Amino acid sequence: MPEEQPKMLTVTIDGRTISVPEGTLVWKAAQLAGIEVPIYCYHPKMPPLGACRMCFVEIEKLPKPPQTACTTPVTDGMIVHTDTPLVKKSRQGTLEFLLINHPLDCPICDKGGECDLQDFTLRHGPGGSRFDLTKRHYIKPIPVSDNVLLDRERCIACQRCVRFSQEVAMDEEGLIMNDRGFKIEVSTPPGSQYESIFSGNTVEMCPVGALTAKNFRFRTRPWELRKTPSVCASCSVGCNVRVDVRVDRILRQMSHTNDSIDDGWLCDRGRWGFDYVNSQDRLRTPLVRKNGQLEPATWDEALDLVATRLQEIAERDGPDAVGGIGSTHTTNEEAYLFQKLLRAALGTNNVDHHHGLFPATTTSTPGQLPWVWTDSIAGLEKASHIVLFAANPYERQPIIDLRIKKAQRAGAKIYVVSEKPTRLDRLATLKLTYKSGQLGAVVQLLLSILVSQNLTRGSYSDSRVLSERLRQAVAGASNSEIVAQQAGVDAEAVRALAREIAGAKGAVLLYDEMATREEGAETLAADLFTLALATDNVGRRGAGVGPLFEDNNSLGARDMGLLPDSLPGYASVEDDAMQARLRRIWGEEMPKNPGLNYDQMLDGGVKALYVMGADPARHMADAAALEKLEFLVVQALALNETAQYADVVLPAQSYAEKEGTFTNTERCVQAVRQAMRPLPGPKADWEIITALGQRLGQDWNYASARAILNEIASALPIYSGLNWDVVSKSQGIRWPALPENIAEGGSPFLSLEIIQQGLPSVQEVAETTAAGD
Amino acid sequence: MAQPELIITKHLNVPGMDTLAVYQQHGGYQALEKTLKAPFQPDEVVEMVKKSGLRGRGGAGFPTGTKWGFLPKESPKPRYLCCNADESEPGTFKDRMLMEKNPHLLVEGVILSAYATKVHHAFIYVRGELALAGRQVTRAVQEAYDAGYIGNNILGSGYDLEVTVHRGAGAYICGEESALMESLEGRRGYPRLKPPFPAVVGLYGGPTVINNAETLATVPAIIKNGPEWYASFGTEKSKGTRIYCLSGHVNEPGNYELPLGTPLRTLIEDYGGGVWKGKKLKAVVPGGSSTPFLTPDKLDTPMDFESIAAAGSMLGSAGVIVLDEDTCIIGAVLRMSEFYRDESCGKCTPCREGTYWMVELLERLEHGHGSEKDVPLLLDICDNISGKSFCPLGDAATSCIVSSIKLFRDEYLYHIREGRCMVGPGALAPAAAHA
Amino acid sequence: MVSDEAKQRMRAVAAHYPTLRSAILPALHIAQSEEGYLTQDALESVAEALRLNPDEVKSVATFYTMFFKEQPGKRVIKVCTSISCYLRGCDQLMTHLEERLGIKRGETTPDGRFTLLTTECLASCGTAPVLQVNDEFVENVTPESADTLLKELNQEIDSGLPPRRQGQPNGAAATGNVGARPAKSDKAGKPAKSAPASGKRSE
Repeated sequence: MPEEQPKMLTVTIDGRTISVPEGTLVWKAAQLAGIEVPIYCYHPKMPPLGACRMCFVEIEKLPKPPQTACTTPVTDGMIVHTDTPLVKKSRQGTLEFLLINHPLDCPICDKGGECDLQDFTLRHGPGGSRFDLTKRHYIKPIPVSDNVLLDRERCIACQRCVRFSQEVAMDEEGLIMNDRGFKIEVSTPPGSQYESIFSGNTVEMCPVGALTAKNFRFRTRPWELRKTPSVCASCSVGCNVRVDVRVDRILRQMSHTNDSIDDGWLCDRGRWGFDYVNSQDRLRTPLVRKNGQLEPATWDEALDLVATRLQEIAERDGPDAVGGIGSTHTTNEEAYLFQKLLRAALGTNNVDHHHGLFPATTTSTPGQLPWVWTDSIAGLEKASHIVLFAANPYERQPIIDLRIKKAQRAGAKIYVVSEKPTRLDRLATLKLTYKSGQLGAVVQLLLSILVSQNLTRGSYSDSRVLSERLRQAVAGASNSEIVAQQAGVDAEAVRALAREIAGAKGAVLLYDEMATREEGAETLAADLFTLALATDNVGRRGAGVGPLFEDNNSLGARDMGLLPDSLPGYASVEDDAMQARLRRIWGEEMPKNPGLNYDQMLDGGVKALYVMGADPARHMADAAALEKLEFLVVQALALNETAQYADVVLPAQSYAEKEGTFTNTERCVQAVRQAMRPLPGPKADWEIITALGQRLGQDWNYASARAILNEIASALPIYSGLNWDVVSKSQGIRWPALPENIAEGGSPFLSLEIIQQGLPSVQEVAETTAAGD
Repeated sequence: MAQPELIITKHLNVPGMDTLAVYQQHGGYQALEKTLKAPFQPDEVVEMVKKSGLRGRGGAGFPTGTKWGFLPKESPKPRYLCCNADESEPGTFKDRMLMEKNPHLLVEGVILSAYATKVHHAFIYVRGELALAGRQVTRAVQEAYDAGYIGNNILGSGYDLEVTVHRGAGAYICGEESALMESLEGRRGYPRLKPPFPAVVGLYGGPTVINNAETLATVPAIIKNGPEWYASFGTEKSKGTRIYCLSGHVNEPGNYELPLGTPLRTLIEDYGGGVWKGKKLKAVVPGGSSTPFLTPDKLDTPMDFESIAAAGSMLGSAGVIVLDEDTCIIGAVLRMSEFYRDESCGKCTPCREGTYWMVELLERLEHGHGSEKDVPLLLDICDNISGKSFCPLGDAATSCIVSSIKLFRDEYLYHIREGRCMVGPGALAPAAAHA
Repeated sequence: MVSDEAKQRMRAVAAHYPTLRSAILPALHIAQSEEGYLTQDALESVAEALRLNPDEVKSVATFYTMFFKEQPGKRVIKVCTSISCYLRGCDQLMTHLEERLGIKRGETTPDGRFTLLTTECLASCGTAPVLQVNDEFVENVTPESADTLLKELNQEIDSGLPPRRQGQPNGAAATGNVGARPAKSDKAGKPAKSAPASGKRSE
């Protein structure tokens, strides 16, 4: 849907005339014209403050020059000067003021080299200071949290950090401004610490060295870092990061703004949670179990052994004696290749990954859609209601928590349906709690209220599939008072919530992927989908339903077919058309019987198991059951718990050492770039699988992850418009990503047509390029 | 000398004037009754205030009726009126007196002004330190509620008004209108960006009119006696009377309500009994400590907005501070500057850092440790603050420094050269040892 | 601890505003009146009563000078040191009080009786120098009248009396200053020459 085009205004800055949309600030216009206007207090993600008095410009025909560029919106025909004597003197004046009590300890300051105070003083400041009195001194540095330290002498009181903490993150225990006048300071409230998963943003946005990250202090000078834009590998949000590497070690990750996903923010887990990449515990050679002990081995020795043993067992006991558990962390290319190895080279559908329990798609939705968020993160800002079911974004998908707060500030109402306290309860219009194991009952109660109070609306309210689901729900919750009592939930509150969802301009219903594993929540995904359909909350921005996934490529793993009953792109393993297409690309037959799932494989269903980038032992009641496997291969960065039981361990590379794509929780495919020289020894997962494929008789010759992406594009209709060039030059592309919508970034939401008729099918989408480039 | 007619302070010292009954005995709430029973339409009241020529008594002197006219005719959000009774400008003490002694006059002014501006919720922001004034206004508001002057359907007119008395908590900056709104909304008293101006986006985002307490207390008399009557006082552009707050080195300091345009000399010599102890006059601050000094040669300047401006200062809040010949100008300026340093909100750089730096320099000069470059440095710091700060507090902080250097540069140089004061007790002190 | 009654009053005062948040300052005044300063408990009770994040309340409280972070003395003496009082001898008055009380400005006597503070212009320049005792005015203060005042305050404290309050509703607003020179009333519009030489003037 085309957004309304803003009015364009003409502005001339230092003789350069440019056109900008209405509402653009003079500061931004200057930036677009390539002219630096220095700022401290202003931050593009927060409203203008006008406090630092650094961004002076002179604007013709406006009273009282100089004006501040960060607070003045452009008007048509405006003429701005940034280099007049008055502007220069005013900026010099401000810089001199800022420096009178500044310690000038640049040589030992972590910010030195990327410090706005240093840089602007050089470019806009006075040559020296006339301040010849004694500077103020403070105790320093003060730890304001476990991760962040404050140096009040360096602070220029721009308030960026405090405004972020109070207004953007809306922290419960945040930073505040203390006192006033020349005694004003950034502080934590007496008796409390800065406790926020977003704290690192304050370090990043601090224009000086006042706030520093404990794990980065005195580690390097900024100019010694190699900086690579990439995607965070922590949770399913897929925030864009800049990976800063020095001598083969990640020293920090910074935000690399992608407005549609992260809005310019990064959580502390993403920012600082990279120690596992640098860890001394990383495996450097393959390990092979000899006489009960895992011993170092060569790649050839290990790969030969894996290929031989898997083949032996498959031949001896049939292909379904072999299985594979894939990863929610590795790239799409690796996930795709992994299932291809199992299906094409070994001939089994025994492939899965650790995920939420979603019912079969075919019986639950009109368009037989996969379980996926029908809208997108940015769409939350357009919602009038955001309803969270057993989801806790602050803990699990933190940057979505910030977007929900942003939506709330813009007027959206938040509803939290959760057994436990969550960080959003405080901001919620309504919090519903229920007895353990009763989430499913609560949602079914909502559905039955829709029917009994005649609240359904929209084009699906009478569809056959929907009616069936609703009928079941009503049958299950015929007496709402009794059901509510059993569920331990306030019946009136549930009724109120049902009315709100049904009457919403746009409601977004989100649940945590893993909530589907709760007892009694087996049909949660389907019931919430029904709820959204029956209340007309799909098919547009600012309305929708879907799971919030766990890991950086949880959705990608599903898309790529790491599922025992689905081929890549959610086609059933029995789907003839998809089979035919894959046969053409793979040059192999593949099994038609659904494979064993994750639990079944671990529960004695297979004799040989290949685990890539996962640690199932963590989820098992009795990990020792792994010992019963005849042959276990674990491919991982370090010797994880599952690897303790392995016969062969294959060392893999981290996201920072390789290239590929991740698909985040809102269907957005993004480019992951190699940010550092790989650790000697380990190989990328795709390289390992390729080598195994060759040993299993496949003629695979992928030269790079890019070649695998091309094959994915030709295999999966929903990825059909993608290639490395397109993805890496984009801000991410949301599937269905077809050649015709690539330019707009794919599909920000699933249209009514898709919801009604399903995803583009194999027949509809022509094959793009042939496999292998 | 003829006794000038009193408008705002007319019955100020009548015993019991702070009670409703006595206030009514002296014509109290007649203006309100007249307005609501006539009835005057709100726009007619605005027109009367415009015609009266009343200008803001807080400091800027902006025409009150015109200010009210800036409110949009219709607005989706509720509109508000704020009475600024956060009196804190050094040298100014008129609003406190009004609130303590004749709070009903202020309350009646608030009601009339709220009616004129179609406001249904008015706030009276009383400076926190003025505990008695706060109690008096609160009580007067309660009495007015009880008497049906505030509340629903006032005097059967169908007009509804709530009045909330709000007590500040110690911050000069909250006398600045946007900081006052910020404070009233429960935040730190930082001034807000303008535009949008309060008339468009003010309190709680609604159109808001903010007037000084004395301004609002003048409204009943204008309504009662007519705008022409009020405009017959004062000068052509500065109509009516003002309460001049006379303090410092005079024999009879106090509040004097006089027609605008009364010469400075008349106030100081006739009303204030002249400079105390038979001393000569050294300088006068005519409009609160934020306004530049005037020297004795300007004594015949009429105290109206235009004439004082022409003389090189501002009428401001009409806080007239008199300095005798024995006053060390740097000592006085240092004291005034400390005020701005301590009352700066700290939001913007020039005001926060500049006022700190200037106090340090003035302290050094006063104690005889200054150097010659300190004087041009002070002036340049003032230049870097003035017009560059977020709100007028920064500009205000420079007035006394710039004007004192301009008028008394020799005295600054004497401090630098001799290491001690030129006049007053400090002149007898031994010269400070230069570091 | 902040009493339930005080919390009730906070909520009651909030009813006079369009938003709960607006009642922060009045609520903080109430909280401070409970224990004489803002304890952690007091700050949190304000946050609770107004349904605000305690951080916000704490930050707001530090902006305003009337709120005490520590327990002040039983009587808080604030001497105005701004320009008009400066011109009429407030520094000498302050020094005198410092000597009498044996503390410096900003300090509390070890016996917890008095806290001595400076304050900015109190809007009492016509009766300078001026001070406040627990927010109530004492005007035209001289070193001698200050001594009398201290004596009276000590007696008050010894007798366990609450801090005095100015003003009854009879126009005697500024005349309750026992121990100080009788306050002159304001002489609106009256030429001084025609007025009595001292004392309260009539209209």
